[in-house]
Amino acid sequence: MPAAYPLPSDLSPATVTNTASLLRIIALALISGAAIASRLFAVINFESIIHEFDPWFNYRATKVLASQGFYEFWNWFDPTAWYPLGRVVGGTIYPGLMATSGVIYNLLHALNLPVDIRNICVLLAPGFSALTAWATYMFTKELKDESAGLLAAAFIGIVPGYISRSVAGSYDNEAIAIFLLMFTFFAWIKALKQGSAFWGTIAAVFYFYMVAAWGGYAFITNMIPLHALVLLLMGRFTGRLYVAYSSWYAIGTLSSMQVPFVGFQPVRTSEHMAALGVFGLLQIVAFAQLVRAHVSSKQFQELLFAAVISVGLIGFFGIVGLTYKGWIAPWTGRFYSLWDTGYAKKYIPIIASVSEHQPTAWPSFFMDLHFLIFLFPAGVVMCFRTLRDEHVFVIIYAVVASYFAGVMVRLMLTLTPVVCVSAAVALSSLMDAYLDPSEPNVEDDKNGSSTPHSTGTTPSTALATSKKTKKNKEKEASAPAGGVLGELVSNVTSSAVAAKSATTAERGVFGMDTRLIVLLNSLGLLLFFVVHCTWVTSNAYSSPSVVLSSTSPDGSKNIIDDFREAYHWLRQNTAEDAVVMSWWDYGYQIAGMADRPTLVDNNTWNNTHIATVGKAMSSPEDIAYPILRKHDVSYVLIIFGGLIGYSGDDINKFLWMVRIAQGVWPDEIQEPNYFNRGEYRVDSEAAPAMRDSLMYKMSYYRFAELFGGQQPVDRVRGQHVPIQGPTLDYLEEAYTSENWIVRIYEVKKDDVLGRDLKIANAFDQGKKRKRTKPMSRRKSISA
Amino acid sequence: MRLLSSALITLLALTKLSFASSNSVLVVLDPSLDREDYSIFFGGLEERGYNLTFRAPKDTSPAITNYGVPNYDHVILFAPDTKSYAQDITPQSLVGLLSENTNLLIALSPKQTPLTSLAAEFSLILPPPETPLISHHPARSEPPTTIPVPVSSSPILTPGIPPIWFTGASHALGSTPMLVPILRAPAESFAADPTSDADSDALVSASEKGGEGLWAGSQMGLVTGFQTNVNSRVVFAGGVNMFSDEYARKELPSGELPGNALFVTDVAAWVFQEKMKLKIDAVDHHRVGESEAPEKYTINDEIVYTAHISAYDSETSTWKPYSGIDDLQLEFTMLDPHIRTSLPPVPGSPGTYQVQFRAPDRHGVFKFVLNWKRKGYSYLESSTTVPVVPPRHDQYPRFLSAAWPYYAGAISTSVGFFLFSALWLAGDVKGERKKGSKAE
Repeated sequence: MPAAYPLPSDLSPATVTNTASLLRIIALALISGAAIASRLFAVINFESIIHEFDPWFNYRATKVLASQGFYEFWNWFDPTAWYPLGRVVGGTIYPGLMATSGVIYNLLHALNLPVDIRNICVLLAPGFSALTAWATYMFTKELKDESAGLLAAAFIGIVPGYISRSVAGSYDNEAIAIFLLMFTFFAWIKALKQGSAFWGTIAAVFYFYMVAAWGGYAFITNMIPLHALVLLLMGRFTGRLYVAYSSWYAIGTLSSMQVPFVGFQPVRTSEHMAALGVFGLLQIVAFAQLVRAHVSSKQFQELLFAAVISVGLIGFFGIVGLTYKGWIAPWTGRFYSLWDTGYAKKYIPIIASVSEHQPTAWPSFFMDLHFLIFLFPAGVVMCFRTLRDEHVFVIIYAVVASYFAGVMVRLMLTLTPVVCVSAAVALSSLMDAYLDPSEPNVEDDKNGSSTPHSTGTTPSTALATSKKTKKNKEKEASAPAGGVLGELVSNVTSSAVAAKSATTAERGVFGMDTRLIVLLNSLGLLLFFVVHCTWVTSNAYSSPSVVLSSTSPDGSKNIIDDFREAYHWLRQNTAEDAVVMSWWDYGYQIAGMADRPTLVDNNTWNNTHIATVGKAMSSPEDIAYPILRKHDVSYVLIIFGGLIGYSGDDINKFLWMVRIAQGVWPDEIQEPNYFNRGEYRVDSEAAPAMRDSLMYKMSYYRFAELFGGQQPVDRVRGQHVPIQGPTLDYLEEAYTSENWIVRIYEVKKDDVLGRDLKIANAFDQGKKRKRTKPMSRRKSISA
Repeated sequence: MRLLSSALITLLALTKLSFASSNSVLVVLDPSLDREDYSIFFGGLEERGYNLTFRAPKDTSPAITNYGVPNYDHVILFAPDTKSYAQDITPQSLVGLLSENTNLLIALSPKQTPLTSLAAEFSLILPPPETPLISHHPARSEPPTTIPVPVSSSPILTPGIPPIWFTGASHALGSTPMLVPILRAPAESFAADPTSDADSDALVSASEKGGEGLWAGSQMGLVTGFQTNVNSRVVFAGGVNMFSDEYARKELPSGELPGNALFVTDVAAWVFQEKMKLKIDAVDHHRVGESEAPEKYTINDEIVYTAHISAYDSETSTWKPYSGIDDLQLEFTMLDPHIRTSLPPVPGSPGTYQVQFRAPDRHGVFKFVLNWKRKGYSYLESSTTVPVVPPRHDQYPRFLSAAWPYYAGAISTSVGFFLFSALWLAGDVKGERKKGSKAE
């Protein structure tokens, strides 16, 4: 048996096993460390602060939970959100995230560690990313082996696609959901492998945690039934599948219904019907199997087959009928927009207006996954070659998640784990082949030998070979038992293998040079991956977006802190019950940082209310004013980036406000009115409706004064704004932040003489009023 | 939450308490008018405890305001013909005074002055310049511009005032509900140039046009009050002569004494906030059977709302509970009033108005809204914000009769499981092996 390089031979198997497991533990610990550390860029570059929009609400809710206890949190009615409708928070959120932080907070305080709740919230996501790495390790270990698991853990630990949602401060549901996703899948695979109700229950418990934590739980709700269905169609129905699925579904569904926000949805909405249908199907199939085991008549079996089909059909039509009658809610708009990317833009502008609901651009796949995206298909093909039940799962997962990631940017997140797993499987297989010191035996040219490596030189390779043989055996065993589809698939793969083994008598790697070339190449790729991940994380994904930063030409960093400045101004200078109107993006931040009631926020549950704000923003002042007064609005807050070139401002979002308002008031607001000959302009050529709109006026009010008589330039749109700026009659400027990003306007009270405010303003400025005559009290006779 | 539970009570009715200083009056008197000619009016004011300070329109001191703070509680502008004033008296500054709760008594004239444009802001429509009110009825020795005007009854005035002498301009009333007509022109009167008959054609054509541009008839006002949103009051009188001693003593064509003295006293009493002044002392609300206002209500709660209203008594300069409002309404509003109910006075407890109602079956942030605006009276406005929340998790009924199928299902499954376990454990070994092998 030739070897490419010598291996120490005087080690006992126990030593090797112990060392390997110690190394694994150390590796996992280092991976966790790397995962946490790379997510701390945000804290180091900026500060320990909650990021973006939704995390601000989660943070606020967590504070309520930590200070008032769980029951108060559960019954929390927030009168300051969606003023004056209020929001039943306890019944409209996924409480998993807050509950997790609350438990950690109480635990630490029970240990007399007085940690601030904010720091727990900020650091929760990095902490859970370490757990995700571990769960991915466990999952991949089930697919291949420990080394693949470690690779997968390392990948998921630092891959930007996951970091984008889990940097320190990104206190969002996804922060813990990916861990729960991976662990549920792991428990499901484990349950399926062992036919264990215990693991099925664990899967159900984590499924419940997932339901309580993230709306994306529907992904699991449909992935596991899909897997079960495919296995069923492949003829791989076993008692193990039955036990695993039934225990997961029954316990998981019952427990998921305990989450107030979910309630009866698992039995009432179409999204959950697949799981219910597969559950029913499995019962029927299991019953058929039972009967078949007891009855031998061929004809009876055919009858049974017909019965199974008809029961299935009845069940299907029953669900369709119930949907038609309204007992089961049809698919939601968000779901349709997954299939038809143009759907949302047409029918639900509020969904389409969110940037993370846009289709993914191709470069972002490379940006988020780097070289893993190239290894990903290889890993999927590897899964086809082995094709145990869990590999079927990964294949389905890969197909489904790839599609979804292409449709919506935010679903990149669900694709990332499977990419890491498959890439790890592929890379680990490559490593296995090229690290294995055994060289092919040139003399021994027996065709189709099942064990080419006769004597394992190291325990690990021995393990691998024995596994390989086991796999082969399993494949052989599964082939005759499999159904049509399974046979087809295994035929394709095994024939490919057979064809390959026929052409090359003996496969293997000769010499050190080939080994080194491949290994160094892979090592280089891995290093580039690390460099890329670090760069992307520190540059692209670590900005809190509450605090902005710019780099001056000399390389020094400039912190732009307008948001907090303005929110703090609101907090300090306005009445506690002063209602602030803004576009919904800033609702959570105003509630979290300024502690003031808002009309609409990022929990976009009431389209009409949002459309009302959209209408107020896109109407002329005199139409907007009654809307503002009716909703008791005291201040209007807008974001304006024209001065420093901040492109995420309200003028750029303005068309969405118009569209959403048009959806509710098509007679009053029309999108084409805001264009001048098809162009969206803010300069002197701006459309009249645009120039009169409240949003335009508030954005450019006194903007020209900054330029001292020069032609003012909007740096975002790159257009010249008229020197004669807009005037305001019904609002007055209350505050403008340092870089003009946040502008706050106060809504004037009714005139003391009950006049229209426009007339009152003209009077205050000393303008002469037109003489009026007494009004006609009766119709003219001659007319 | 605490910001909403802390009841926001807007008591606009509360203007100024009766301090000694609340009686300071600045009289801006045109030099052409002699103070002595108005001694009955001014003397009456001083008798009632007002501190009068006189200045000419062009004097710079005493100033009306110092650094934006009014120096006087009331201002009388008896300068109907003055065209130019000192810096501190402009239409804008006078509106500013009103928003600072200073009351104004303004005399107009047929001449075009800065006050003419001010009157337009109060939705008074003045006729063209130099067209005083003219009436040829009843037959009398005085010129047609000196008119005895019958006084119609009004809560502002003492009942039964005899006709009063009037000379000056009339004005049409705009659509503002804040106007309080006090004295209307006689039906036979019209506004025209007294020296020529040039306007008669215009009058005829205006009346043919359905009254547009027609300054004639009893729709014209002569003395009109206006109560602002902050409850300060202003009165525009069409002429300054009606306040004079001469008119107070001049006999009517019927031979009796005119009601001028009494009329101007009543008008001054109203505009200087002596009468028809109300305020909401306090509002409180609570659940039936409780006494403290809760932080939030639950839907369908029975709520008791109480308002305490008092009226100013100028005799004693004190606020006294007032139960005289019989059309007070309470609204429970979220965007729209979900409940609108009358808020009747409680018999036997003066000044208390109370109603009990059930909160709507709708959660949200509601407001108790009191909004009572009647001509001449101080506006009563109050808004208290309270959240109405859904029941807590433990406030729902524990058992529902409609849920019996589910209870039965749960119980039967439990019993079935128990029986199955018992049979399984106590059953024979054969059965167990058979089952066990199937699970594989």
